[in-house]
Amino acid sequence: MKSLSLGFRKLRVVDIVVLGIFMSLLLILGRFTVGVQTWRLSFGFVVTAIAGLLYGPLWSSSIAALADIIGTLVSGNVYFPGFTLSAILGAAIYGYFFYGKEITWKRVIIAQLIIAVFVNAILNTYWLTILYKTPFLAYLPIRMIKEVVMTPIQMAIIYYVLNSQTLQNIQNKLFK
Amino acid sequence: MSNFLFGRYLPGKSWVHQMSPQSKLMLSFYFVIVIFFANNVWTYASLSVLILIVVVMSGVSIGYFLKGIRPLIWLIIFTVLLQILFSSGGHVYWHFGPFSVSDTSLINGGYIFVRFLLIIMISTVLTLTTTPLAIADGVQTVLKPLKKVHFPVDTLALMLSIALRFVPTLMDEMETILNAQRSRGVDFGSGSLKHRIQAAVPLLVPLFTGAINHAENLSTAMEARGFTDSEHRSKYRVYRWQRKDTISWVAFLLVGVLVLFIRNN
Repeated sequence: MKSLSLGFRKLRVVDIVVLGIFMSLLLILGRFTVGVQTWRLSFGFVVTAIAGLLYGPLWSSSIAALADIIGTLVSGNVYFPGFTLSAILGAAIYGYFFYGKEITWKRVIIAQLIIAVFVNAILNTYWLTILYKTPFLAYLPIRMIKEVVMTPIQMAIIYYVLNSQTLQNIQNKLFK
Repeated sequence: MSNFLFGRYLPGKSWVHQMSPQSKLMLSFYFVIVIFFANNVWTYASLSVLILIVVVMSGVSIGYFLKGIRPLIWLIIFTVLLQILFSSGGHVYWHFGPFSVSDTSLINGGYIFVRFLLIIMISTVLTLTTTPLAIADGVQTVLKPLKKVHFPVDTLALMLSIALRFVPTLMDEMETILNAQRSRGVDFGSGSLKHRIQAAVPLLVPLFTGAINHAENLSTAMEARGFTDSEHRSKYRVYRWQRKDTISWVAFLLVGVLVLFIRNN
């Protein structure tokens, strides 16, 4: 395989397949939600965090972008490139904070806080403002409240899953 | 197979069905961009006529399009109401504290409503007339120019094919894990948010373990068959640009130019 520029690390066949299957899990878990009405949590972020941990920011943001594009178009939702940019940024932040590093509470909290405030609350509200001319300042507090509730839960799940023995076994299987 | 893959696509032989996926994909993006330039009744009317023609030519019943609006109905109502109550200018019909309803706010509310409908309709046309695999193929074609800057388009296209192939398999496995947990008394549908999340997290571990096993098996099979790179793969179905695509593009471009001419500057 040719080596890739743009900083993409060279992948083995097994890495390509694993990232493909992660994309599949992103498509599935992105739609598997838990909770009621507005307090819904989808588990797609766990896959993105694991991809970031195992393959770094470039590959994780690439699969997050493709999963966002395909997931949106296939399900008939309105496609807007802004949300793809949000998916890329979220995955890049996970990759930057987790790739090749020890998963500590501090890392998880900082990464998730940046995503919750800048990506989920501010950027995503701004995309809605561009797309539908929704009033930014009227929607921002509603989305902020949701983030205040969901962010600690996401932090706990990421810390638990990324430090789990199962993921250690998967890492050992894939890279040693 | 899962609803995710075939839930929204409706087989057919209409003009829109027969267009190439990359053309439909680009036309949808183009249409959404043109909507941003609409700012008066004539521009919105032109785009509405165009989308109605597309809906008719897709041969799909209008009921399917209305279904596409349902998930966004509260966002639409909330946004239109905010627009009506907080817009200023024009003749005021009603006023209370910071809220007011004027002829300008009603018109703006109407524009926002039409804007929502137009964006949802074009996305729905694409989804109802294009299979997920064709959409994936279209995305790959659209991304191809990025190869010039050494973006790994072919590798990502292979990942996408693998992803779509494994969606039904992994969905089935998730269903099996869910049922196994239910048979042990886990209730995913009731309780507090914390309780529901605590019940759902244990699903992730077996799902990931199973997914990695699939990945190992598939990569071994690929290597055993001599797979070395993703750049020279052949395709079972090849979607070619047709005369229908050219005609559709001409029509959309003409409406785009019309919108630029008749909009308020």
